[in-house]
Amino acid sequence: MITSGVGARSDVELRLPADGAYAAVLRTLTAGLAARLDFTMDDIEDLRIAVSEATAMVLDEADSGTDLVCQFRLEPGELRLECSAASESPSTPDYDSFGWQVLTTLTTDASVDAAPGHYAVRLALRSSLDQQ
Amino acid sequence: MTDVESREGVRSAALEATRRENARLFMVFRDPDVSDAERESAREALVHLHLPLVEHCARRFRNRGEPFEDLVQVGTIGLIKSVDRFDTDRGVEFSTYATPTIIGEIKRYFRDKGWAIRVPRRLQELRMQISASTAELTQSLGRSPTPREIAEAIGCSVEEIIEGLESSNAYATLSLDATDGSDEGGQSMLEAIGIDDAALEHVEIRESVKPLLESLPPREKKILLLRFFKNMTQSQIAAEIGVSQMHVSRLLTRTLEQLRASLETDD
Repeated sequence: MITSGVGARSDVELRLPADGAYAAVLRTLTAGLAARLDFTMDDIEDLRIAVSEATAMVLDEADSGTDLVCQFRLEPGELRLECSAASESPSTPDYDSFGWQVLTTLTTDASVDAAPGHYAVRLALRSSLDQQ
Repeated sequence: MTDVESREGVRSAALEATRRENARLFMVFRDPDVSDAERESAREALVHLHLPLVEHCARRFRNRGEPFEDLVQVGTIGLIKSVDRFDTDRGVEFSTYATPTIIGEIKRYFRDKGWAIRVPRRLQELRMQISASTAELTQSLGRSPTPREIAEAIGCSVEEIIEGLESSNAYATLSLDATDGSDEGGQSMLEAIGIDDAALEHVEIRESVKPLLESLPPREKKILLLRFFKNMTQSQIAAEIGVSQMHVSRLLTRTLEQLRASLETDD
């Protein structure tokens, strides 16, 4: 488990080309981090799907040739992730979309930050062990 | 005789007939004096005789993601091996001898060929251990286990569990053209994924443009229709209406600007 600095927060950052081909790398990293945070197998499966949806949303808005920046914030029993990319004129998020429904259902918290030049999807998931 | 008894009678009679046919065919098959052709046809007949056994075995592995026909096919390989190796002097039923071989062949198929992407044997076995202990732990804990708990149960590191999880994602890749396998002629995945009709987003625009088009002067309206509905070039329109191509161009640009302006003020 990641408890190197006991009680301290751990941050992990991953920068990838904003291209769907790299989505699997992000999913794998997310699953790996969640496993170390003692998330349950079900949580990890949820997280994988949520991350897929979040990346799909960001990739849709990302300017071509830019990077997808993924920042993880790891706390005991909780994983927060912000996926962002440069986006000259991002469209307003569609909160009725299927992807958004999936994302909000699977996570404990999700939000979109769309401003000219920048598009980010944030999500947080608590371990279901932690909620008991 | 009751119904059940008579049915039992029929079944055991059929079983007896199969047994006798089996013994007769094996006699021919093992007889060193028969011709190759006879031996070959006895072998063929033996395989056909016991095909229902293969189907019976394959049925136990249905709903595991592999087509029933494929399972029968690999099971039949097991059957053929059994026919070739069966020792009639052992005093056991052929079916008793063949069943483990057939099932072994089907299991091997699942282990080796069921994977969409080749994964090392070590990981294949790890994956099986993970899914077995996930099921057990879910039962005993009353919730989904964590990778650490699974690692402790199996006796390996969390690292290896993560690796095993990654490999299990390789098992279930699915072609977009694959059918759902539930019934004949099912929809393929690709067909089932919906998309918006290409013209859908134009409906709204077309509906709002309609009244504006109606209010245009007849000549402008005609130019627009010829250009965008009949797909004529500006020169063709010019010839049709009897003005210069430049004029058509100017009129088109002006009309489109008017339309765009009134659409925007409408909002």
